[in-house]
Amino acid sequence: MNRFITLMLTNIVIAFLLSFSVCAQEISPESAIAVPAQEENKLWEDVKKTWRDDIQFHGFLSQGLFSTSGNNVYGQSKDSVSADSTEMGLNVSYQALNNLSFAVQGLYRRAGANTGDAGEVTLDFGFVDLNLLNLQEGRIGVRGGRIKNPWGLYNETRDVAFTHPTILLPLAYFERSRTLFLALDGGQLYADYNTSMGDFSFKFNYGWVNADDKELLLAIINDPTASGHLESDPSFVTQLSYEILGGEYVFALSYAELKMRYQAKNMGDPYAQMQADIDTFMVSGQYNGEYFSFTGEYSLQWNEFTDIRFGVPDNSPVSEHWYVQAGYRLLDNLQATLRYDSTVQNKNDRYGKGVEAATGGMVPGHLFYAQDIVFGLRWDITPSWMVRAEYHRMHGASNISLLDNPDLTQIAKDWNIYALQVAFRF
Amino acid sequence: MILHFINKGVPQKRLSISVLLLCIALLLNAQTVNAAEVIVSANTIEQLKDFHELRAIFSLRTLYWPNGEKIKVFVLPDNNAVHKKFVKEKLGMFPHQLRRTWNRMTYTGTGQPPVTVDSIAEMLDKVQHTDNAIGYIDRRVEDESIHYFNAH
Repeated sequence: MNRFITLMLTNIVIAFLLSFSVCAQEISPESAIAVPAQEENKLWEDVKKTWRDDIQFHGFLSQGLFSTSGNNVYGQSKDSVSADSTEMGLNVSYQALNNLSFAVQGLYRRAGANTGDAGEVTLDFGFVDLNLLNLQEGRIGVRGGRIKNPWGLYNETRDVAFTHPTILLPLAYFERSRTLFLALDGGQLYADYNTSMGDFSFKFNYGWVNADDKELLLAIINDPTASGHLESDPSFVTQLSYEILGGEYVFALSYAELKMRYQAKNMGDPYAQMQADIDTFMVSGQYNGEYFSFTGEYSLQWNEFTDIRFGVPDNSPVSEHWYVQAGYRLLDNLQATLRYDSTVQNKNDRYGKGVEAATGGMVPGHLFYAQDIVFGLRWDITPSWMVRAEYHRMHGASNISLLDNPDLTQIAKDWNIYALQVAFRF
Repeated sequence: MILHFINKGVPQKRLSISVLLLCIALLLNAQTVNAAEVIVSANTIEQLKDFHELRAIFSLRTLYWPNGEKIKVFVLPDNNAVHKKFVKEKLGMFPHQLRRTWNRMTYTGTGQPPVTVDSIAEMLDKVQHTDNAIGYIDRRVEDESIHYFNAH
C-alpha cells in the first residue's frame, strides 16, 4: 500500500515537472533578455496573465472494486473482492499563441496482473497543436507528438471514468488491445466544418502505435515463454464524425490499419519472423436526449498473423464486435444503463470449436467469444464526484486477461461480474 | 426532420416541454421564470449573429470572434439551475451534451474547456473585466456597465 501511495505521488510530481518544463520553454526566451527595471514589472505582469488566462490544469482519478464468479477481472476478484483497478491522470495545456498550443497528460494506472501491484506511469499524450486555418465555419490544423486515437465513441477518453456510462467499456474496446489503440507517436491532421445542418469533424492519425504489450503478444502467439516483444510499423487511425444539434445525435465512422512485428531478444527465437496486421472499422451512432440515450456500435476486424513460428500455419481470423445500449436519466444526476454486448474472435469459428478440437480441449472454445448483459447505475454526486455500480451476466470469456487467469483449464463459460467505482475529476 | 433543423432554434417537442415546465415553475415560484441573459465584455458587442453561433461558441467549435480575438467563455457549474436554464433556452441543448464535448477536449488535450465560476456575481465580474469574454446571468438588470447579447 505504501509503495502504491509513493507511486501515485511520483506520478503527480512527474506530471507537474512535465508541465513546468513546457511553460519554461515558452517563457525563457523572454526572460533571458536583460530588461530594464521598469519593464521587469510589465514582464512579471505578462507572466501572471499567461498563468491565469492561457494555462489550464485538469485531472481525473478513479478506483474500482470488482467481485466475480468464475474468472478474475483486474486482479484476484474471483469469489473475492479486488481493488486492483486505479486510474489517475493529470494534464496541463498551454495556449501559447492564438494558433499554437501545447498539451501533455501523465497517466498512472493499475489494472490487475498486466500492470502489477505497483501499477505503471505513462505519458498518455503530449503534443504541439498548430492551427493552420480558423474560420467561423470551421478549422484545419496539425498536431505532432503523442496523440490519442479517435476510435469509436469512447477510445480517446477510455481511461476517464466520467466520459463513459459503465465501469467496464463495451467489449469492442478490448482491454487486451488497449495499448495498441490508445495513442500513436506521429502526427494528426484535423478538420472541423460547422454548418446549420450539423457539425463535421475529421481526424487522421499517422505514426507508430504502442504494440509492446504482454497481453497482446500472448493473445497472438499463446506462449508465455516468448522473450521478445511486439514493435509497431507505421500505422494509421482515422475518423469522420457528424453531430447534430450540439451532440444530440452523433454518428461516426472510424477506420484503422495497424501494423506490427515481433522483435526477438535472443538469437534463434522461433517467433523472430512473426508479423501482425490489423485492418478494422467501426460505425457508431448515438442519441443523447434529455432523459433517454441510445448508443450502438458495430466493428469488424481483419487480423493477419503471418510466420508465427515454424510449424504453425498463418492465421487470419475476422473478429466481430457490436453492442446496443440504452440509458435513462431517472434524475438529472442519476442515470441507469442497460447494454447487450457481443464479440467473436473469429467469424468462421464463432464458438471456438475449431481451436478447442485442434488443441484437444486444452484451449477452451469459450475463450474466443463473449456475450454480456450489463445493468448499471451512475450517480453524479457533484460535477466533480461520481459513483456507479453495475452487474454483468457473462456468457463466454474472450474479454478476460490471461495474465489474471493463467490456468486455461479453469476458465468458466458462464459467470458474473459485480463492480463498484468512485471517480473524481477537475 | 430536415425542416426542423433548418428552422434551428429550439425544436418543437422540446419547446412544448419547456413551456410546460415553465408553467409549473410559474405556479411553484414566480422568481424562477426570469430568462437567462447572455452577457459579453464591452469590446465584443455586435460580434454575435445568431443562435447557431451561440451554440458553436459554447460547444467550443467557434473559438474566435469575427475580429480574430480568442473568445473567453465563462460558465456556471453543471448542476447550477441558471446554467441548466441557459443551456436549454439559449442553446437548445442539455448540460450533459456540453459536458461530453468539453470532457473530450479536456482529456485529449485538443481544447481548453470554459472557465467555471461559482456565482452570478463572479460571472459578472469576470465578463466585465476580461476582454473578449462571454457568459450569462439569471436575469436582466439595468446597469450601463453590463452588455447584453440580444437574441431575437
